[in-house]
Amino acid sequence: MKYILSFILLLSLNKASELSIGSMMPEMGHRMKNINGKNLTLSDAKGDVGTLVIFSCNTCPWVIKWEDRYVSITEAYSPKGIGVIAVNSNAARFSGDDSLEKMKKHSKKNKYNFPYVQDPGSKLAKAFGATKTPHIYLFDDKDRLVYRGAIDDNARSANSVEEQFLSNAIDELIAGKPISKETTRAIGCSIKFQ
Amino acid sequence: MIRIIVLSAFILTQSCSQVKLIPSTSEQIMSKIKSFSSQKAVLLNIWALWCVPCVEEFPMIVDLDDEYDELEIIFVSADFHEQKSEVQKFLKKQGLDSISFIKNEKDDPFISGIHPEWTGSLPFTVVYSKNSGIIVDSWEGKHSESRFRDAIDIAIKS
Repeated sequence: MKYILSFILLLSLNKASELSIGSMMPEMGHRMKNINGKNLTLSDAKGDVGTLVIFSCNTCPWVIKWEDRYVSITEAYSPKGIGVIAVNSNAARFSGDDSLEKMKKHSKKNKYNFPYVQDPGSKLAKAFGATKTPHIYLFDDKDRLVYRGAIDDNARSANSVEEQFLSNAIDELIAGKPISKETTRAIGCSIKFQ
Repeated sequence: MIRIIVLSAFILTQSCSQVKLIPSTSEQIMSKIKSFSSQKAVLLNIWALWCVPCVEEFPMIVDLDDEYDELEIIFVSADFHEQKSEVQKFLKKQGLDSISFIKNEKDDPFISGIHPEWTGSLPFTVVYSKNSGIIVDSWEGKHSESRFRDAIDIAIKS
């Protein structure tokens, strides 16, 4: 019985943890290839008021359902000082569905208005504890994590959303208010680590 | 002649019967798991048709279900409800012929209700012990058959 309990404890400890609220943005200098061919770091993508990091990819159905909101949120908040960057950490698929060429096409097709970069070795995703796409991280102007989780509560339709998790958090960040809902969760596709 | 008609009707019924897909909240799923306490270990697998690793590991899990008498496997589809018939077709193709479950709750409360540490990534697997009903192991993503077997063996003994 003692052996069984020890084994259970060992198994339960074998888990990666997500970046906790209040943590500093990790790996700010990690160089990632943008779809325009240039290297980009999180430092380059930072906004004056805050920074939104979206772990995403080309093919995940949940990304496909939600990505219209990447664009509308960037449109609404980029002029207000929020820097936005989408990060593709599916390193195991960089020679396939998540190649830079396919990312370019995907970005163009979906009218992305923010940089879309490849994360070599999934280093950024590992540092963030990001596990899926989409997976959202919002930082304040001092690079501290203030919100983590989902965009809203309805992947299927922007018109049927009842709770705008991310927009509410950004509004509160801009207003200098505490974030009322710091973490949420949603179903997504697993990141394909190398 | 009657025997042939009866046999044909039986074959037709079997080939047309669909898996009963029950829309469920996390609370209903947890209640179902608890109903096996002291009788069987339980393996919960949350999957979706769209999720390639989920579909890849699915047949292996079905085989485990056939192999272990003291194990109950509960599959919960996280697909959108408009895909219900495709989910049923997939389950039928996998050899499942009784009941299965489909998520019927918003993501955030569903995920929290299933496991406090689940980030929402699919597939997600949890193994519960036979006697105490506690979680023996849980993991996100596709994993090796040996990890499944290790957890199941512990769950059946504990």
